[in-house]
Order: sequence, then structure tokens, then C-alpha cells
Amino acid sequence: MNALLAIAPLLVVGIGGLLIMLAEAFGKPQAPEGFDSAGRVIDAGAGRSAEIALGAAVILFASAITSVGLWLVGPETLEGAAAVQPYLVVDRFSLFFWFTLCTGGGIACLLAGGYLPEHGLDRAEFFPLALFSMVGAMALSASSDVLGLFVGLETMSIGVYAMIGLRRGNVRASEAALKYFLLGGFAAGLLLFGGALLYGATGHTDFVGIGAAIADANSPVSAGLVLGGLALLLGGLAFKVSAVPFHMWTPDAYEGAPTPATSFMAAAVKTAAFASLLRVLLTGFGDPRLMSWGAGWPPVLAVLAIVTMTYGNLVAGRQESVKRMLAYSSIAHAGYALVGVVSVMGSKSGAASVLFYMLGYTVSTAGAFGALILCGRRGAEAVSYEDLAGIGRRHPAAGIAFAFFLLSLAGVPPTAGFFAKLNVFGAAIESELYWLAVIGLLNSVVGAYYYLRVLVYMYMREPAPGAPIATPMRSGYVATALVVAAILVLGIGLLPGLSLEAATLATLKSGG
Amino acid sequence: MIPIGNVIEHYVLLASVIFVLGAVGFLVRRNALVQLMSVELMLNAVNLALVAFNRQHSSDMNGQMVSFFVIAVAAAEAAVGLAIVLSFYRLKSSVFSDEADSLRH
Repeated sequence: MNALLAIAPLLVVGIGGLLIMLAEAFGKPQAPEGFDSAGRVIDAGAGRSAEIALGAAVILFASAITSVGLWLVGPETLEGAAAVQPYLVVDRFSLFFWFTLCTGGGIACLLAGGYLPEHGLDRAEFFPLALFSMVGAMALSASSDVLGLFVGLETMSIGVYAMIGLRRGNVRASEAALKYFLLGGFAAGLLLFGGALLYGATGHTDFVGIGAAIADANSPVSAGLVLGGLALLLGGLAFKVSAVPFHMWTPDAYEGAPTPATSFMAAAVKTAAFASLLRVLLTGFGDPRLMSWGAGWPPVLAVLAIVTMTYGNLVAGRQESVKRMLAYSSIAHAGYALVGVVSVMGSKSGAASVLFYMLGYTVSTAGAFGALILCGRRGAEAVSYEDLAGIGRRHPAAGIAFAFFLLSLAGVPPTAGFFAKLNVFGAAIESELYWLAVIGLLNSVVGAYYYLRVLVYMYMREPAPGAPIATPMRSGYVATALVVAAILVLGIGLLPGLSLEAATLATLKSGG
Repeated sequence: MIPIGNVIEHYVLLASVIFVLGAVGFLVRRNALVQLMSVELMLNAVNLALVAFNRQHSSDMNGQMVSFFVIAVAAAEAAVGLAIVLSFYRLKSSVFSDEADSLRH
């Protein structure tokens, strides 16, 4: 019973997902079942995505609140938590990520409640998929075992594959799902073989045991197996955080997917993968022989961070589609967060800076995709820069919302994005990686270019003569999602001390 | 009688060869179904390695337990994957992943 209390946030989402699925399957169809005039399937799930979205969002926000409750009670006092270790470790680190993930997912579900009916994709299957995928993401961020890692990762990914392919009649959505599925399966294979090699070297599948076996000087482990296992494991996780050169799927999957699914991917999948990366490296590979500048993973991740930031920013600047630009920008953000992961080796605040970064990034990017949804309407989804021309002056609310989230992504004070970048680069300086911090700063300047370009189009350009004039959609769901995201972005930006303190508390308990 | 340590080495070597074959197959072939099979081959190599290593660390059954989960999850993944390939085939009448090119810019 105590164990159930400890994993309550996970259970809320899991059981909620089952209820939502039943509500969707046994609800009363709005029209006789069959096919409509456009050939779309009419069944119990059709035409009811708005109400189901509300349920799904309530469940996710309830889970976020449950995580906060457990945080206040103190996960150390939960006696049952030991029963589910190491497959699920309920500590402040997990609770921090559960809150972040559920908030991001809740925003994405609210966005879907407005987007799906508006764009003739009124299918309620989206929401059970999102909730089950969220269960996987939460398990992934809390797992300290190869088995839990793999099962969490796949539970998360399988739901997302289906969410991307939701628009079945669309070639682009189908291609996006195919590419993400193939590369995701490949990445899972790499990760798992890495786990098998580590098991062979140490005899443990849990990362605490692996770390202890590596540190044990009396019974040396095979260095080849450990390094090979670590490399494959990092490769698998790098796919999920979309670090260059494992990023090939990201732009296509982000662009082809329905925008709420994109926002779910950018917010939840990437955050959960970073949580797992941080936990694996700190608990399993915190040994000085593997975590120093001369050897082990920090130099490798530093190179990955630089390549990822630079490539993401340079290619994002060349995009004509805003959605694709945001996809490349999410690659660049993975690079910034990797700077924080590298700083863990020399700085006490390194891990906290990554946690803070993921919280700020999750709400900002979910809001940015939400604002993109807001700027389009049926038959005229806002995709390119041209689509947004002049919208800031004609529709001030939509313009301000979009501008606000882009400024946070660019790192302009007083938003969450500014303090997120400040902390990450501060941690890099603290671990004496000055050049890494400088490259990061230069990259944020380059990044500002393409975010500001959207503002230029919104406020200083007029649509070309004869081009369709974009009008924002009206939806209480999208508006609510944007308000929630904006409050969080601004709140974290104005009171960074509170969330940074929480992030610092969260890392102290992670056993690093 | 061959010592058990050597036999495990052979199994792990075999698993590595199968894994590399799967990985190369995935990267070289462009037929989505063959790529899917290559991924399955990689996962089976993992299972073989896990079971072989479990023989070496025989104090618990962790390796074999993980391999059961891998089998189950791989089946779930294949179910969703085949549905995605099918939906792609309906639209493009092809299962070649290099024909998935409408998203390039």
C-alpha cells in the first residue's frame, strides 16, 4: 500500500489513461457509425476530442499536483518507496521531472483539444496514447535500472509513434511516423545492447550496482565491455534527446506530426530522455576514472554539445517553415542542456542547472508550439514565415503570445529561458570549461536571429498581395494552455530562486 | 570438457556478430520491412548476450528476466511498426524508406 502511495503520480496517469480509453470507446457516437462523406471513419471516438482532452489534461495536471504533494511530504519519509526500487526510484529528482513532464503533457493535451477539432482530425485516440506515453516518460525519468529504462523508453516511444501517424490519410504524417519508428527502434537496440554489455561486465542491471562494481578496485571489470556498453547506451539516449549526429529524425518527425503531438515530443520525450541521461551518468558512471576531463564521457558529451548547438542553430536559421525552425531550435536546446550535463563533472550546481533548464525549456517550447497552433485555422495552418506576416498587428493577442515564448526560447530576461541559459553557462564556468560557456553564448546570439525573424514577420511585414491572410483560431482550450504556459514561463523568470532551489534539492538526493 | 568461461565468450562473440549484422542491415537496406527485421535481429542478439552473460553471473536471474521483457516489448513495437508501414504503403504503394522524401527541404 505504501509502495502505491509512493508511485501515486504514475498511477494517476496510468489509471486515468485506462479510464479515458474506456470513455472514448464506450461513449455515444455523435453520428451513425460508418464513414462520412469525406471517407473518414465515424465511430465512438470521432467528434469528441474536445471533451476527452479536458479529461486528459485534468488527469495530467492532477498528477503534477500529486508530485508536488509528495515533494512537500518528502519522498524520504515514504516507506514503501523501497519496494519498487531500482525499477522506479521515487526521490526528489523523479518528483521534479514528474512535475515538469506532467505540466508539459497537460499543456499539449489542452492544445490538442483545440487543434484536433479545428483541423478535421477529431479523433479522441490521441489522449489515451498521450497518457500511456506519459506513463513511459515518467517511468523512464525515474528508473535506475537497464530493464526499467528500456521498458519506460519503449512505452513512451510506442505511444508517440502512433500520435505522429494520427493523420492517416496524410503522406507527410505517415512518413514522419515511419522515420521516427525505424530510427527509434534502432536506437532502442543500441541502448539495450549497451545495457547487456554492462550487465556482462559487472553482473548488475541496476546502475547503482554497475557503479559500485566499476568503483570496486578488488575485482576489476573489463574496461572494454564497460566503455563499449557506455558508448552504446549514450548513443541510444542521444537519439532520444536528438543530439547531432543522432538528430536525423527530429526535423521530419516534428514537422510531419500534428502540432500538439510535436509539442508533446518536444516537451515530454526530450525532458524524460535528459532525466534518464543525467541519472544514468551520475549513478552508474560517476567514478572519477569515467567522469573526468581526461577520460570517460565528459569530453565526448562536450563535443556532442558543441556540434549539436552549432548545427541546430545554423540550420534553424535557414528554414522557411516556422514549425521546422522550431524543430531545429529544439536540437539546439538539447545542445545547451548537454553543456549543463558536461558541467556535472566539476560543478556542484551542474545537475541542478540541467533540471532547471528542462523545466524552463519544457514550458517555453510547449507554449511556442501552442502559439503556432493559435495562429492558424481550419484549412490554413500557419507553417511558414509568410503565413505569419502582419499577424502581430492585426491580432495583438496571438502576436504577443508567440513573441513571448520565442523570447523565452531565445533567452531574453525576465523569462524562464534566460535564467535557464544563465545557470547552464554558469555551471560550465564553475567547472572551468570557459570555452564551452563562450561557444554556448555565441550560439545563443546566433539563435536569437531566427527567433527575432519571426517577430519581424509578425510586426513589420504585410502579407504579399493576393496571399491568404492568416487569422488565428478561437479556442478556449488553446487559450487556457497558453495562459498556463505563460504564467509558468513568467513565474520562473521573475522568481528563479524558488525553482532553482527546488532543482538543487532534487539533485542532492540523486545519489551523485 | 570445455571450461564454461570459453563457451560464454563464444556466445557473446556470436551475439556481437548478429548485432552488427542487424545494425549494418538497418543502415544499408532501404526496404522498411527489411529494416524492421534488422532491428528485430539486433534485439535478438541482445537476448542471446543477456542469457549468455547470465550463465556467467549465475547468482541471480536478472539477465534472463530482462530478455523476457525484451521479447514482449519487441512484439509490441513490431505491432505498431507494421501498422505504420501498412499506412505508409497505402499512401505511397511502396515500402522503401528512401521514397519517404516529401519532408525534405
